[in-house]
Amino acid sequence: MIYLLNFIYGFMCTIGFAVLFNSPKSALLKAGLGGGLGWSVYFVVHHNYDLIVLPTFLASLVIAILGEVFAIMEKQPATLYIIPGIIPLVPGFGLYYTMLSLLEQDYNLAIQHGVEAMLIAILIAAALTIVLSINTYRKNLP
Amino acid sequence: MSIKKEVLIVAIYAGEIMLKNGGETYRVEDTIMRLCKSRGFSYVETFVTPTGIFLSMDKKNAPEEEMSSYIKRIRSRNINLNKISKINEFSRNFVNSSMSTEEAMQALKKIDEATSYSNLTKSIFGGLASGFFALLFQSNLLESLSAFITGMLVTYSLNYLLSRKMPFFLANILGGGILTLLAIFFSYMTPSIHIDKIIIGAIMVMVPGVAITNAVRDSIEGDLVAGLARAGEAFIIAISIAFGVGAVLKIREISSFIMEVLRQ
Repeated sequence: MIYLLNFIYGFMCTIGFAVLFNSPKSALLKAGLGGGLGWSVYFVVHHNYDLIVLPTFLASLVIAILGEVFAIMEKQPATLYIIPGIIPLVPGFGLYYTMLSLLEQDYNLAIQHGVEAMLIAILIAAALTIVLSINTYRKNLP
Repeated sequence: MSIKKEVLIVAIYAGEIMLKNGGETYRVEDTIMRLCKSRGFSYVETFVTPTGIFLSMDKKNAPEEEMSSYIKRIRSRNINLNKISKINEFSRNFVNSSMSTEEAMQALKKIDEATSYSNLTKSIFGGLASGFFALLFQSNLLESLSAFITGMLVTYSLNYLLSRKMPFFLANILGGGILTLLAIFFSYMTPSIHIDKIIIGAIMVMVPGVAITNAVRDSIEGDLVAGLARAGEAFIIAISIAFGVGAVLKIREISSFIMEVLRQ
């Protein structure tokens, strides 16, 4: 039940961001589906094994693969489905928290949050780039 | 005007729209290359950073013609996925047909001036996103509801300020301030509302999460200048938001301290 609820939360959250980013109407549901599934993957792994970095990577992989599949189906750029989808995962809050700790002169906490945010950003980007590279490689095959 | 100049202008305009609306560096470069090559200009070199586009091109076996280049400065960036998708369609049409450059310019102008969702729609969905984001981080229903209202108001005021041409650094400071004031207001209403949960939810409509991810992505792909520029932008936005939120939190701390002193 808690998994289903989290899927719904992730789905709605992604659709909200898709509208904020002016996504065309035809892409809203698909973006939401990608974001919801991605968040579910994150939540299931995070909930059972109490990790943060690995589930973020897995979730980004799922979102990126779904995004590329939708992109091929609809002949649209994959960004349309990926950008709103990764929002629940991105370390925006970590980045903000880093800045807040810096303003409060708590430098240890700032480094802790900063490194974690950086690590998460690197992993999301890595997952997206891996899928993108495989897709480019596939297109260039003879 | 020579055909070369016309193609150059079409390509740079398409690239500009894409970059202004949040297209990735490699996608902009790819689109410009395709547009130029489809009209027979086989030597195309383009260098794209978030703050500008450099493009130069030439024809093969045409020694009498001069080489052309164009530099376009980009000053503002936001995310508008609709325009990226439309430019993508345009580029496919342009490459696969013999569309004239005048038609192409008209099509591009239309894309550039395309309307987006109204501020009200955006605010409602921004509120939805905030509310559900708070739920993702295990908040209760009341907190989610407050995050919904806060997110809605913050999105509305932020869009309003930006449409009034306020510099984004200032607008983000104000947005962070409004957000925290609302969160403090809701947290005083009932004790079951925790101020952090509201801030977590509502701040997501402002924080540069996508920018920081794109920065790393650009760097991995070798667009190092673009990656650094995007990371710098993300940091400035994060600083401005933290400034707004931090200032209001500090004022609350000081005022409650003064109240305490006055009471004694």
